[in-house]
Formats: sequence, C-alpha cells, structure tokens
Amino acid sequence: MPPDNGQYMVSAYVVVAVVVLLYTASLWRRGRR
Amino acid sequence: MLDAAAADRAITRGRIVTLLGVAALAGLYVMAVLYTPTERFQGLVQKIFYVHPPAAYAMQLAFVMTGIASALYLWLRDARLDAFAEASAEVGMWMGAIVVITGPIWGRPVWGTWWEWEPRLTFTVIELLVFAGYFALRSAMREPAERAKFAAVVGVTALVLVPFNHLTVYLFASQHPTPVVVGTKKPELPPEMLRAFLTGFATFTVLYLGFAMQRYGIGVRRLLEETADAA
Repeated sequence: MPPDNGQYMVSAYVVVAVVVLLYTASLWRRGRR
Repeated sequence: MLDAAAADRAITRGRIVTLLGVAALAGLYVMAVLYTPTERFQGLVQKIFYVHPPAAYAMQLAFVMTGIASALYLWLRDARLDAFAEASAEVGMWMGAIVVITGPIWGRPVWGTWWEWEPRLTFTVIELLVFAGYFALRSAMREPAERAKFAAVVGVTALVLVPFNHLTVYLFASQHPTPVVVGTKKPELPPEMLRAFLTGFATFTVLYLGFAMQRYGIGVRRLLEETADAA
C-alpha cells in the first residue's frame, strides 16, 4: 500500500494555484490604463 | 524605440496567453489527479513532481532570458531589452517562490524534513537572493540608462548561476533527485506519468510567456512615464 500523504499533494497544488492567480491578478491590475 | 501602442499590445497578448496558461494548469491538475497512477513508494505526494520541476525549469528559463537580454542590452543599448530583462527576472522570482514552497512540501513526507541545507536547495536560495539583489539595485537607481546598465551587468553575471545550479546534483553529494526524464538513460516512467510531466513543462512555459509579455508591457509604460517626467 502506498503511504497516505494526499494532503501534501493538495497543499502543494493549492499553493501553486494561489501563487499563479495572485501574480495574474497583480499583473492585470498593474496593466490597467 | 519605446512605443506605447506596442506596450499595450504586449499586455493584451500577455493576458490572453496567461489565461491559456491558467486553463492549462487546471487541465494539468485534472490529468495529474485522475489520469496518473499513484507511485508505489512515495504515494500521492509524488504528484508534486508534475508542478515542482516545471516551475524550477520556468525559473531557470526566466533567469536565462534575463541574462541574454542583459547581454544584448550592454551591446545594443535598447531600453526594450532592459524592460524585458526586468520582466523576465520578476517572473523568475514568482516561479522561484513556487519552487521553494512546493519542494519542502514534498520533502517533509519523503525526506522526513522540510528543509536540508544540501547543494541544490542552498544554491537555489543563493540564486533567488542574487535576483533579489538585482531588484534592490534597480529600485535604488533613478536614471533609466544608468540603472539599465548596472542591472544588465548583474543579469549577465547571474547567468553563470543557472547551469551551475543545474549541475549541483551531479557535482556534489546532493540529496536532491537527479533528472529522470532528461537524463542519460531512457525515461523509466509509465506513459501517463510522462505525459502529465511534459504537460507540466508546457503549462509553465505558457505561463512564463504570458507573465513576461504582460510585465514587459508594464515595464515599457513605466519607462515612457519616466522619460516624460524627466523631459
């Protein structure tokens, strides 16, 4: 049986999504005229 | 040389490419969670590999592009190259943030520790600190041409760090895994894993391009404002 550590995968995926969306929002705001 | 309309176009196109990248990231998650097998020894945490190495590659790509644009700036003295070098370095820092956060999340269950001062990890921190210095230098200088020249020297010098960081896992007794797919041996991955892994690299390439295009446009606008203020 593989170890039960799905929470680490979920945390990492959430972190990546948050960083990507934060930077997307930041660029969107800074790029407004 | 600097063109406001071209900056607007870069921002608009960058936004479209970024949205494609965000959609690709969502697709990558679905692919990784539903269509890749669970690794027998590491468990689900192995699926961090579909985002961590691609983000590391995007960070290195960003810093290489900064180095190249910096070298070209020193040669051609075109302000657009300075704007692009800065844009790419900023994207590299954000990708670096993903790398140094997701790495420890994988390390905790697999290595038994959040952080280890081993060569690859230490060198990644040094690389990010050098680029933090790049931004500190930029923010300390007001005159655009002078700032661009000094920043370009740092950008070119930092270029040396990229291949060195890549080689740390071979040169030193590093705990960090060596490349599985781009190695001397044939990749030993199930096709589903390989497909998701390559999708991760494609996704982060698209995100890099979208972010860098937008940030380049914003940088050009700022340079135009600075020039207008000075006049």
